[in-house]
Amino acid sequence: MKVEFSAEQNALRKELRAYFEALMTPELKAECDESMGEGGGPLWREALKQMGRDGWIGVGWPKELGGRGMSPIEQFIFVEEVMRAGYPFPFLTTESVGPQLAEHGNEWQKREIVPKILAGECLIAIGYSEPGAGTDLASLKTSAVRDGDGWLINGQKMWTSLAHFCDYVWLACRTDPDAAKPHKGISMFLVPTNDPGWSCSPVVTLGGVRTNATYYDNIRVNDDALVGEENAGWKLITSQLNRERLSLVNFGPTAEMFNNVVRWAQQTDLPEGGKIIDQPWVQINLAKVRAGVEALKLVCYKQAWAMTEGQLDMADASAAKVYGSEFFIEVYRLLGEVIGQASLINRRTPGADPIASRIERLYRTASIITFGGGTNEIQRDIISAAGLWMPRASR
Amino acid sequence: MDFGLSEQQRDVQNLAREILGEQVTAEKLAKYDSYAAERFDRELWQQVAQAGLLGVAIEEQYGGMGFGFFEAALIAEEVGRNIAPLPFISHCISAAMPVQQFGSAEQKQRLLPGVVSGEQLLTAALMEANNEDPTQPRVCSTRADGEAVLISGEKLCVPFAAQADYVLLAATDGDGAVVVMLPRQAEGVALEAMEVTTYEPQYRLTLSNVRVGAENILARGEQAQQLLASVAEHTTAALCAHQLGASDKAMRMTASYTAERQQFGVPIATFQAVGHRAANCFIDVECLRLNCYQAISRLDDGVDASVEVAIAKVWAGDVGHRVSYAAQHLHGGTGIDRDYPLWRYCTWLRHNEMMLGSSARSLAALGSKIAVGEAFCA
Repeated sequence: MKVEFSAEQNALRKELRAYFEALMTPELKAECDESMGEGGGPLWREALKQMGRDGWIGVGWPKELGGRGMSPIEQFIFVEEVMRAGYPFPFLTTESVGPQLAEHGNEWQKREIVPKILAGECLIAIGYSEPGAGTDLASLKTSAVRDGDGWLINGQKMWTSLAHFCDYVWLACRTDPDAAKPHKGISMFLVPTNDPGWSCSPVVTLGGVRTNATYYDNIRVNDDALVGEENAGWKLITSQLNRERLSLVNFGPTAEMFNNVVRWAQQTDLPEGGKIIDQPWVQINLAKVRAGVEALKLVCYKQAWAMTEGQLDMADASAAKVYGSEFFIEVYRLLGEVIGQASLINRRTPGADPIASRIERLYRTASIITFGGGTNEIQRDIISAAGLWMPRASR
Repeated sequence: MDFGLSEQQRDVQNLAREILGEQVTAEKLAKYDSYAAERFDRELWQQVAQAGLLGVAIEEQYGGMGFGFFEAALIAEEVGRNIAPLPFISHCISAAMPVQQFGSAEQKQRLLPGVVSGEQLLTAALMEANNEDPTQPRVCSTRADGEAVLISGEKLCVPFAAQADYVLLAATDGDGAVVVMLPRQAEGVALEAMEVTTYEPQYRLTLSNVRVGAENILARGEQAQQLLASVAEHTTAALCAHQLGASDKAMRMTASYTAERQQFGVPIATFQAVGHRAANCFIDVECLRLNCYQAISRLDDGVDASVEVAIAKVWAGDVGHRVSYAAQHLHGGTGIDRDYPLWRYCTWLRHNEMMLGSSARSLAALGSKIAVGEAFCA
């Protein structure tokens, strides 16, 4: 048992921190702020390609796939640092869909798509939810029907985040409407967003973040687009979600925000004398965040280590997702209290404090991942069944 | 980065798990309820000593295994899992380890072989009235008497004081602290039994001008401060490990019970409201486990662990409390029925929560460190 990084890993961390300090120019930061922490702008795209050229996106990937051959821990260090730097990193593409394609993809996907992902030149959105299929995902209706040597895809997806600037949608489709169990008739496809049958309309959310409804109107794809076996998509969905869960609760940005608020409270004067941080209740709020961040760090590192050992535990992945997503809400509340009324001031106000206005925005976005990425109720079902061997109700 | 246990650590864990799991039964524990008998299984203590577990962190030259604090804390976790009626933490962690680290060659030779064999029992007096900071004794004071010291004052809740041969005890000399190994039989030492929530033997220890000779003085001045800080951190971390074992067990009892208990024709575990409360316990216990293991591994490596220990204690307090009440609630009346073994766990979860600083006090300590810039995230 040892929680510390090796000397090489610490050096890597230091190198990455300096790298991103240089990469995150004021212009890029401003563009990322404008896109509500989502990315997609021209400078953002260029920076992603730069990371690809510099060999960072695949730092923990095997060499034969175009990576640097380090372990999932180094990969995790990279993602932690890029997110800590405030760059909206497209982790769904690189950390969850990418590895699935590398493992289960066909020749074309491995040859054409995977290298582009590692080069920062290919972005993929996730198409699971539909107007009538959310938590009960296996009831999805978007269909892919055999059409000669290809497939004809029709349907509608909801909450297809990032799709408006992605190249493909990782799309769950029904391929066997008569399967004995609904989840046994689902297949995964990579559907190009430049197809004339593809369209999307924006959905604006409380946090200002844009997501999408996406439409699939007689899109014809060939067999290259099918990922894995026909009707064997469910396993790909669940393992993609397991990987996604770890990225969702990355603790780097929270650690950075905690440090920033501490420095702010140490430096900011109280009108009656002394500093903000001298107040006992401020210290207690900060201590609560600090204790919680430490747990999040350990939960994340344990999973990065478990991936290195090839034993990612389902209950642990769900526990990390539930803990992290609910803790983030608490963090924004506790740190917002320390900052006070200023944590309601939007960044567009002249003179708005960058830390305070970040909390203003994050507090509004925090609920997304308690239901996104598999709602926390389902995660708790998984935990009690897989972690505590409790029987669960059949559905 | 390695979240696994070494082979040596697994061996120690399995050995403790085997002996305690076999020997500590609800029937045996029932004998000690309400102080009907002294809560100290001396037969089991001998068995644990013979297996070498009392000397796990003691050097081989004194008969120990020569392993470290991590292994000792793993035993504390198993003691917690079984709420074994043994003075493991007070003897091995709070007293024997500081003797080994700070004692003279003569003191180590005199005390440690008996610690390992179980022939001598040590304990530590870490609490005074309204003073839960063991590094700053205020109620007990000392003055010099040649090479010896004279100590007066009072310590509270001293575990196994009446059973012990020596009590590690600190007193203030005005400038700093003096730490002694007080022979329990020394003239002027009075013990009064205190009854506490766990039924552990605990005593009010009163000292009236007790003369402790130079041979039993463990540390003075700067050394004494180092010793007390080390005792406080190691004992706190060991309490977290005990809490981890106890809360993990209480949670798993609850999972088993709700899987068996039927209402409306189905196991109550199949209700989401039940499963989700148990899942919350799972997340809590995992957070405690990781923070506890981090703290004990850092202490074992001899690197600064003050922030990590304070954080682990916050989690130990919160998790113990939440798991205790979730377990009681999900068991219904069975959880508080004294014929079912859960209730004893609840008293220990409370003990570990409060001892050496509650969550509130640990948060305040952490908050002060944050304020002076000593607890940034790496």
